[in-house]
Amino acid sequence: MKPDNIQMGAITEKSPVLEVSDLHVNRLNSVAIENANFTIHQGDYVGIVGPNGGGKTTLLLAILNIIPHTEGTIRLFGQNTESFTSWEKVAYVPQNATNFDSQFPLTVRELVALGRVNRGNLGRTLKREDWESVDEALKFMGLSEVANRRVGMLSGGQKQRVFVAKALVRNPEIILLDEPVVGVDAKTQERFYKKLSDLNLKRGITILLVTHDLTAVFCRMSKVLCINREVNVADITDDLKVDEVLRKAYGEHFHFVFHKHECERVFDE
Amino acid sequence: MNEITEIFKLFGFQFFQNALLGGIIAALACAWVGLFLILRKEAMIGDGIAHTTFGGIALGLFLGVNPILTALLISILAVLGISYMRRRGLAQSDSAIAVMLAVGFSTGLIIISLAGGFNVELFSFLFGSILTIDQTDLLIVSILGISTILILGIFYKELLSITFDEEGARLAGIPVKPLSLAFNLLVAITIVLTIKVIGIILVVALLVLPGLSALQLNLSFKGTTLASIAFGTVSMTTGVLFSAIYNVATSGIIVFTAAAIFIITATYRKLE
Repeated sequence: MKPDNIQMGAITEKSPVLEVSDLHVNRLNSVAIENANFTIHQGDYVGIVGPNGGGKTTLLLAILNIIPHTEGTIRLFGQNTESFTSWEKVAYVPQNATNFDSQFPLTVRELVALGRVNRGNLGRTLKREDWESVDEALKFMGLSEVANRRVGMLSGGQKQRVFVAKALVRNPEIILLDEPVVGVDAKTQERFYKKLSDLNLKRGITILLVTHDLTAVFCRMSKVLCINREVNVADITDDLKVDEVLRKAYGEHFHFVFHKHECERVFDE
Repeated sequence: MNEITEIFKLFGFQFFQNALLGGIIAALACAWVGLFLILRKEAMIGDGIAHTTFGGIALGLFLGVNPILTALLISILAVLGISYMRRRGLAQSDSAIAVMLAVGFSTGLIIISLAGGFNVELFSFLFGSILTIDQTDLLIVSILGISTILILGIFYKELLSITFDEEGARLAGIPVKPLSLAFNLLVAITIVLTIKVIGIILVVALLVLPGLSALQLNLSFKGTTLASIAFGTVSMTTGVLFSAIYNVATSGIIVFTAAAIFIITATYRKLE
């Protein structure tokens, strides 16, 4: 069996963060995910791709235990999600997170601080270290200058970064993002992916990202997870396997031409 | 000049001190609770519960119990009824509110007809009579109001989190269901303590107008909350003062002041 833990040319013992076995999920009275088996390790940067309606969002929601699964198990940090309690390790940026009421009276800093509100500090005011990590996350996402602006007044790309900052202040070990860069221009998308790569490489945060942008998956990420009811995972370095799993999700006629040098053109301008 | 000396004289009267104190506590609670209601897009639950309490008021007068207490009981039952209907999928929020409003109000009608009418006292609950508030009522209003303000203060950030993104709050381990229920109970309590001040029919104005005016200013959440509380308090003080001096309906002046503030802030926003 091919070890999953070969990354960046070094073999390191990486512990599994997410283990899915024999998973079945029904949604709206039909089968959405069938017999899924895969493992995600600490530090993986996984692109979740697949045709529309293939079950990408459903998979994230099942992992988060927001929707129930009919069969199989999902384990986060070794614990079944039904009885999982350390949700502070998990951050989630939902699809259309930025589609909130733009009149909602929150500044960027206030919104990001909501990420620090959890079971642990119920009924207590946020402490100085909470606000310090808020400011740190704002700085990391390049939002310090707009910290006191109303969130509704920001551009689409900025809003998306605000929601990632909100996810970051929880100091999560894994982040799940559902199509976070829909509706923003290419340049902003690239900058966004760059930030996520930094998080992944510098902080070792495991990232699962739903996207339609295959180029970003190939250039930035370590694994691709293809889903079309059936789930298949491939290391991005394993060209043959990648081709196989893409065909399984998109159909035999699917043909994706990709050259590694495109990454330099796209991302290193 | 004459008016100013009259105002100073007013502050010496017990009835005026009571009215002002009770009114300001009610205004504070209303403005704060109301802002959350607006942001949760549930402003009409305030109106619904207020009308439901009519049954409670009538019941209290009929039994010879303090009507504020029976109103509190009925409004809490109404809140529980609304959330039960929603949870069980029996009705959407707005329909559930409509059902409770109608049932509560008709309970009041039946009791009144059985009792042969109580006119004056009931009238004072329909339209408010802050200037005649007695020590017992003031005590009840103060205890309920201060408890509401304290609980809101303690769970401020959790309520904001739930209001902004309920799913996210649940994921962060915030007890969303108990807190939402607690918030709805606070709405019921706030409405009941405000009935004596402004009356069943106009409670919703004190819940909605200060928050709505504050939202026009494009402030932070903290700023919006403070502005809402300030607008509520100013409307209340103006109402109590003017009605005491000119002998006009307090609740009318309160709502007019609050509406004037809304028009000014909305104009400011348009011009900005």
